[in-house]
Amino acid sequence: MKIAGRRWYVAVGAFLVLELVLMSSQALAHKGKHTPEQLKAFQDVFMEQVRVGDLLFHGDEDTQKKLNIKLSRTGMACAMCHPFATDTHPHTFPKFQGQVGKFAVLRDMINWCIENPVEGERIDPDSDAMKALEAYIYWSNRDAKLDPGRH
Amino acid sequence: MDEIQRERNEMEKELRGKGERPDQSLGITRRTFLHKSILAGAGSVAAYGWFPLINTLDLTLGAQATFRFAWISDNHLYPKDVNTRFVDKAVRAVKDVQAMNPPADFLIHGGDLAQLGDPVELDLGSGILKELKIKRYHIPGEHDWYLDMGQKWTNLFGQPNWTFDHKGVRFVGLDTVSRGPDYWTAKKMSPKERMGHMATLDGSVAGYWAGVGRDQLEWLNRTLSSWGKDAPIVVFSHNPLYEYYPPWNFWVRDWREVQEVLKPYSNVTNIHGHTHQVLYNEIGKMRSIGMLATSWPWPYAPEGVPALTKCMVRVDPGDFFDGVGWSRLTMNASAKIENQYMMWRQDVLADSEVDSGCSDNVNQVVHPRVADREWPYYGAYK
Repeated sequence: MKIAGRRWYVAVGAFLVLELVLMSSQALAHKGKHTPEQLKAFQDVFMEQVRVGDLLFHGDEDTQKKLNIKLSRTGMACAMCHPFATDTHPHTFPKFQGQVGKFAVLRDMINWCIENPVEGERIDPDSDAMKALEAYIYWSNRDAKLDPGRH
Repeated sequence: MDEIQRERNEMEKELRGKGERPDQSLGITRRTFLHKSILAGAGSVAAYGWFPLINTLDLTLGAQATFRFAWISDNHLYPKDVNTRFVDKAVRAVKDVQAMNPPADFLIHGGDLAQLGDPVELDLGSGILKELKIKRYHIPGEHDWYLDMGQKWTNLFGQPNWTFDHKGVRFVGLDTVSRGPDYWTAKKMSPKERMGHMATLDGSVAGYWAGVGRDQLEWLNRTLSSWGKDAPIVVFSHNPLYEYYPPWNFWVRDWREVQEVLKPYSNVTNIHGHTHQVLYNEIGKMRSIGMLATSWPWPYAPEGVPALTKCMVRVDPGDFFDGVGWSRLTMNASAKIENQYMMWRQDVLADSEVDSGCSDNVNQVVHPRVADREWPYYGAYK
C-alpha cells in the first residue's frame, strides 16, 4: 500500500533526526570497534605500571621519592625475599591471612610486609604506588592458576 | 619429565657406576633434631614421604664422631646505622658456635658476609667473627666481591680458594663468585652500580656469574690428584656445584666440568651457601648439602628443587629468626659428613605438605623482571 507522499517524507525525516540524536548520545549502546593502536595504548599503560611496580618492588629510591613513599627505613626491598615475586601468592587472595589477622586482599598483605619485615611506611591502599606494586606482582605471577582462599 | 631432570639423569648415568651411591649409611640418632610427630608414629611420616628423603636430615647411627666444625654464611650485613637486624643474627650465630662443647675444630664462613661489599660492612663482619677463638676459613660470596672486585675481602681474609688437610680429610674452598662475565665496563658503570646489579638475585644485568673457571678447575684437579680416590673430600663453595636454578645463580656455569673433575673420587661432600634454604642433592657419588643463611630465607625456586631435598618449613615473615641459622657438621668415624641444621626456631623440616616451604608455592608460575633490562638503567644503584 502506498503511503501518502507527504506523511512518508515526514516519517523519514523524523527517523533521520532520531538517528542523528542517538548517534551523538553518550549513552549509546553501540560503540566504536577497537583499533590496534588503542589496544597497544592499553597495553602500554599496563606495562608502564608493571615497570613502576618492578622498580618499587626492588627498592628504587628515585621512584619512591617521585611517589612520595618510603617502603623501607632499613635499606631493604621486597625482592630480597621475593625474587621474581615468588612466594607472594597473588592468585590465592582474597583469603584469611594470619599475619594481617583478618580476611584480606593482596594490598592488605603488601602493606603488612611494608610495615613489618621491610620496616617502611604504610602506603595508601588506593594510591598509584599500591596499584603499580599490584600490577607488577600480578604480572610476574600471571600464568598461575587462580586459587582463592588457599592458605 | 622436564629438561633439568633429563639432564640430571644423564649425569647420573655418566658419573655413577652400577651399585654406587654416595652414602650407604642412613639413620637417626638421638642428637638429631626431630619434630615430635616423627617420633609419635610412622603413619604421618610415611604419608608425607620422609623416606627416602631422610638424607637431608643427616646423622648416622652408631658412628663415633671424630671431629666437628661449624658453618656460618650469608649474613648480608648492612652498616649498623642502617639496619641492625642482620647484625643481631650474625652475632647470635657466632655466640652459638663459640658455645659449642666440645668446641668446633674450625669455622668455615661460606660467603656473603656483607650486603653491598662496603668496607664498612666487611669490617663490621670481620669484627663479629673475631669473637670466635677457633680457626676460621673463608670463601667469598658475590655480595662481598663486586664493589671493589675483592680488594677489601682479600685484604681481610686472604686467598679466595685454598686447601688444607685435617684429620684425614682434604678440605677445599672454591671461589665460585669472582669470575663473573664483565657486564659493567662497556656500560661505564660505577662500582656502586656494578655491585647493585650483582646484589639483585633476580636481576637481569649481572647474568650467569657463578662459575668455577678453567684455571680453578685445573687447580682443583691438581689438588685432588695427590689424594686417595676413596679418602674423604669436602668441597666448600658459595654456590651449589650442580644446576638447580640458573636465573638466581643457584648453580655454577661449569658444573658438568666440576663433576668430571670429581668423578674419580668416591667420598665427596659439597657444602654450599647462597641458596638460604635446606637443600640436599646427590650427583654421581657427590653429595651436596645446602646451608641456611643467618640473614633471611629464600623461597624454593620455581623449578629444579632436587628430588632428594626434604623441604624446610614455611617461614613466618613476621618472625625475623625463623628460617635462618647455621650448621654444626661432624665427620664421623665412617668418614661421612653429618650435618645438623641449627635453625633458631623449633621446626626445621616440614612434616606435612601444608607446613612445607615447597608446597607453599603450588600453582605458582613466575617471570623474570623487566625494569632493569633497558639502558640507561634506573638510578637505584647510583
